[in-house]
Amino acid sequence: MEDKILIIMTSGPDTPRRCATPFFFATLAAAMDYDVTMFFTIDGTLLLKKGVAETVYPKAGGKPVGDFLKDALEAGVKFTACTASTELHDLQPSDLLEGVKMVGGAAMWQMSEEAKTTLTF
Amino acid sequence: MGTIRGCNLPEDLFYSMEKHVWAKPMGNGVIRVGITSVAAKLSGGKLAAITVKAKNIGQEVKQGKSIATVESSKFVGPVPAPVSGILEKANEKIASDPNVAVADPYGEGWIAEMKATNWDGEKGLLVTGPEGLAKYQAKLEADGISCQ
Repeated sequence: MEDKILIIMTSGPDTPRRCATPFFFATLAAAMDYDVTMFFTIDGTLLLKKGVAETVYPKAGGKPVGDFLKDALEAGVKFTACTASTELHDLQPSDLLEGVKMVGGAAMWQMSEEAKTTLTF
Repeated sequence: MGTIRGCNLPEDLFYSMEKHVWAKPMGNGVIRVGITSVAAKLSGGKLAAITVKAKNIGQEVKQGKSIATVESSKFVGPVPAPVSGILEKANEKIASDPNVAVADPYGEGWIAEMKATNWDGEKGLLVTGPEGLAKYQAKLEADGISCQ
């Protein structure tokens, strides 16, 4: 059983410079064979709306957040989104990327308890 | 010494061509491991870090499991173990300057040494020699990868 890591992502398109590193760290942890889950809540959930991450640039002329997000998915990072945060932003589950699992707040506590390390951005 | 699509790939090494990792038997069951010139090219040519997972030193790492990570500004990925073995040591040179693995991937830029636990059983999954390099060449052509 691999050690579990949980990354809680609350930053969104309003703060582009805070949006690439969490995905990069998630990809890196997956490359180290950790079992990595990202939990998106507050504004973080907006990055999971189809087409949004591709328009967010942490650095002018650099890679969009969408590229970092794709790297994380390809590395095997699991994405979970907080149901309440989709209501905050009037999002339907169908607005989100394929493969995102909708979970309640209690799931975050359970994932946090199971994880060896939890990071929050 | 072989050069394929501009990539330097010595014939005497054993390659995990899916992962762009090489293995070299050093005697007494010790296998030296590094990344190929192809991996160096794919990572963007300038690395920020190569980190061997310290927790794994002295532990057995199964073939395909991560022994290290490579980071650049455009890439992050694992260095999977080419064969199963006890991870014996990391190359301290690359900890201080990861770009040695780009400049001299088969010499000073090796990444780690392992004591193989099933070399004879697993080396068949790696490619080597002129025949192996022909397979590697076919893969690079199929993937459209070139070091030029």
